[in-house]
Amino acid sequence: MDYSVEVFESQYSGRTRIPFLQKVRVVVNTPRKAEDRPVSQLSGVSKSFTGTNAVRHVDMDIYAGEIHGLVGENGAGKSTLMRVLAGLHPDYSGEIRIAGQLERIASPRQALSLGIAMVHQELSLVPELSVAANIFLGREPNSRVPWLISNKRAERNAGRILAEIEADIPPSAKIEQLSIAQQQLVEIAKGLSTDSKLLILDEPTSSLTEPETKDLFRVIRNLKERRVAVVYISHKLSEVFEITDYITVLRDGMKVDMKPSREWDEQSLVRAMVGRNLSEFFPKSHGACSEQVALEVEKLTRVPDFKDVSFKLHRGEVIGLYGLIGSGRTELATAIFGLSRFDTGLVKVNGRTCKIRSPSDAISYGIALVPEDRRVLGIISMLDVRRNLTHANLAHLCRLGFIDQREELQLVSDNIANLNIRTSSIGSAISTLSGGNQQKVVLGKWLNTDPIILILDEPTRGIDVGAKAEIRSKIDHLAAEGKAVLLISSELPEIIGMSDRVIVIRDGQIAGTFSGEEAEVETIGRYAISGSS
Amino acid sequence: MLTRTRFRFSKDRMPPGAAMKSQSRKLVGSVLIRDYAIYFILVLIYFAFSMTTKGFATLNNLILILLQVSVMGIISIGMLFVILSKGIDLSVGSILAIAGMISGIFARNDPTTVNVVLALAIPIILGLVCGLINGVLVAWGRVPPLIVTLGALYAFRGFIVWYHVNPVYQLNSWYRIIGQDKIGIIPVPVLILLLVTVFASILLNLTRFGRYVYAVGGNENAAAAAGINVKLIKLIVYALSGLLCGLAGLVFTSRLGAAQSISGDGFELVAIASVVVGGASLFGGRGTVGKALVGALLIQIIQSGLVMLNVPSPLQKIVMGAIIISAVWVDLRIRKID
Repeated sequence: MDYSVEVFESQYSGRTRIPFLQKVRVVVNTPRKAEDRPVSQLSGVSKSFTGTNAVRHVDMDIYAGEIHGLVGENGAGKSTLMRVLAGLHPDYSGEIRIAGQLERIASPRQALSLGIAMVHQELSLVPELSVAANIFLGREPNSRVPWLISNKRAERNAGRILAEIEADIPPSAKIEQLSIAQQQLVEIAKGLSTDSKLLILDEPTSSLTEPETKDLFRVIRNLKERRVAVVYISHKLSEVFEITDYITVLRDGMKVDMKPSREWDEQSLVRAMVGRNLSEFFPKSHGACSEQVALEVEKLTRVPDFKDVSFKLHRGEVIGLYGLIGSGRTELATAIFGLSRFDTGLVKVNGRTCKIRSPSDAISYGIALVPEDRRVLGIISMLDVRRNLTHANLAHLCRLGFIDQREELQLVSDNIANLNIRTSSIGSAISTLSGGNQQKVVLGKWLNTDPIILILDEPTRGIDVGAKAEIRSKIDHLAAEGKAVLLISSELPEIIGMSDRVIVIRDGQIAGTFSGEEAEVETIGRYAISGSS
Repeated sequence: MLTRTRFRFSKDRMPPGAAMKSQSRKLVGSVLIRDYAIYFILVLIYFAFSMTTKGFATLNNLILILLQVSVMGIISIGMLFVILSKGIDLSVGSILAIAGMISGIFARNDPTTVNVVLALAIPIILGLVCGLINGVLVAWGRVPPLIVTLGALYAFRGFIVWYHVNPVYQLNSWYRIIGQDKIGIIPVPVLILLLVTVFASILLNLTRFGRYVYAVGGNENAAAAAGINVKLIKLIVYALSGLLCGLAGLVFTSRLGAAQSISGDGFELVAIASVVVGGASLFGGRGTVGKALVGALLIQIIQSGLVMLNVPSPLQKIVMGAIIISAVWVDLRIRKID
């Protein structure tokens, strides 16, 4: 085996750089031999969910003894592609070969029997059962007494597997007593207990601390030595560089490139991940914002989600808040809106310090939040369009405690006309509307509360292109009318195209602020993704 | 050029077990409290009543308490299986009434072999059938368990009142052995409860089925992903609860020496209370046979104690209500500590 050591300094390792803390990367060069056949070979794999293509014609070869990084922006299709391989999306198209054999993977069970195990982002353990019981769930070893199962044998075998990956976890401990990191290791042990040849890890470090991550990497390297193929999904580039041999980049469900990790550098990887054309139209017609500060956030902190976040949002201004999922952006938005608490810091509206303890406080100060997940916090799916549009400001529509029906109808028909909501009637259940029109209803609901400050969390996610353009132009109009807009989005072109200023948040802290002219896809993407971890 | 470099990762900074060990030492204390608190409380309350109530701490009274808890204990164990699977069974009292009444009708007849066999087997078979109806509706009909068994509570009760509204007296003496006889000093119902307890403990802890009940209640998706037949497990759980209600109906009728169509009214609430006071989670996946039984015993002891202290009946109910809520409240607090 041929080792080479590369010493490099991370360009963005923070302001205080200690000389001896250089990052060192060991690249183990195990060239693929000609006779090697991939453990798994995907060709032309596609998967679409109603209307949207999540994965389009992806080819990917995964070899034994290799750690294969799969990277891409949020929603690029990484998880979907791997869930196809794990048998969770049996309605895929394209061909999958396992050890050269063409297979149609129709269920998780079949995937397991083919030697494919996946450790999901959200853990799938039974918290009340022991470690051993979870590892062998569905495959419990028999006891000598007929009909009974043997806990002892399960624990012994589990202990062996855990020892193999050097996880120091007692097999008899209950899952609920373990830390998240330990649970993660149990998941890996579960995957290995089926003798898997291919282990897929989906964002395994998203809830781990730095030392725990290092321990996990040690385990993954051990697997590699045992000739297990590992697919490592992550958006933490430093980790991907540290652990992987090959990197495949997905963007918008399509494969952009696949190269050995050493042939990538941070810049080229970020460009491959985010560098798309600004082909879509972004209206930015609203003029310069006023000097009047609508919302001021001072050193807002909540451990561990965000820390010392300060910014000023003016009337007529659109600030784009960009960060990856888990960077703290949504947590920040919900804290400002009173949906969750913050530890320290101040929120000022129109220069006055506000005590916002609940969304109703926030509404009374003129703040509105269009939340991230429409189906969870946005709409009440059993109610009709009319009730969904007015339930946030019913007090304004009430006379002597009764809802003024005529005023409500007037308001609702105004909303439908203004926002161009396409619905068969105002009495239609909101669940019958398309995603884009549902989102317009949510936006309309919050505009009805007559806000000064609009926080929009992923307002255009998962809706079709036409509706996206309509919502974007509405946001632009609102800014022109003098509303202050905080726009959170995972789509960089949207952030850059819409915003007067862009704030990049990473690991709960502001990593950089850019004015509209400075804001470029690559720079912002780099600030959000890489740097010191 | 060939350079070899050995890398040390964080495992060298700290022996891998160190964090876990210090953590587990801390855990021992809280696990002790969490896992055995209910037994301490049982002993504590038993002694408290022994001190304050004359004649409470006698062997006879202890056996009497066990005898009184036997029917509810059997039902509670069935209820535990259902609750472990994240379900609920409100129809237990009604099933008990059906089983007890039909059994009583055969027990009044001449003691021919057919009648004896039917009097003993019919309640259990009927209980099983009722449970299977619940199970099919929950597992395959996908109707929420609360609704299915609430409907069954009314329907089964309605059926038995319509079928035989008059009580059945003068049951044959052989039939009363089950409910009224003793082996040594141990009453037969207590022995039956003991057998059921042992059987249920083995079933839950040492068989595949028991493991899957926990898995289905603890994380249904994980269970399905592991290839477990979730629907079948749910069906069996309700069938088992029904079967145990049938057995409880047999014991109840025999002990009373009479069958009534109104028997078992309100039993579902006491059974749920027993299981919950015994630390089981209504959200499924957590609970043990032993603790469910202790929960039932606790409720019985408090009830008997309050009766012996001449506490008026309405006040007893207030105390019971407070105990049920505080038991779960304390349990939740303890759980939050770790």
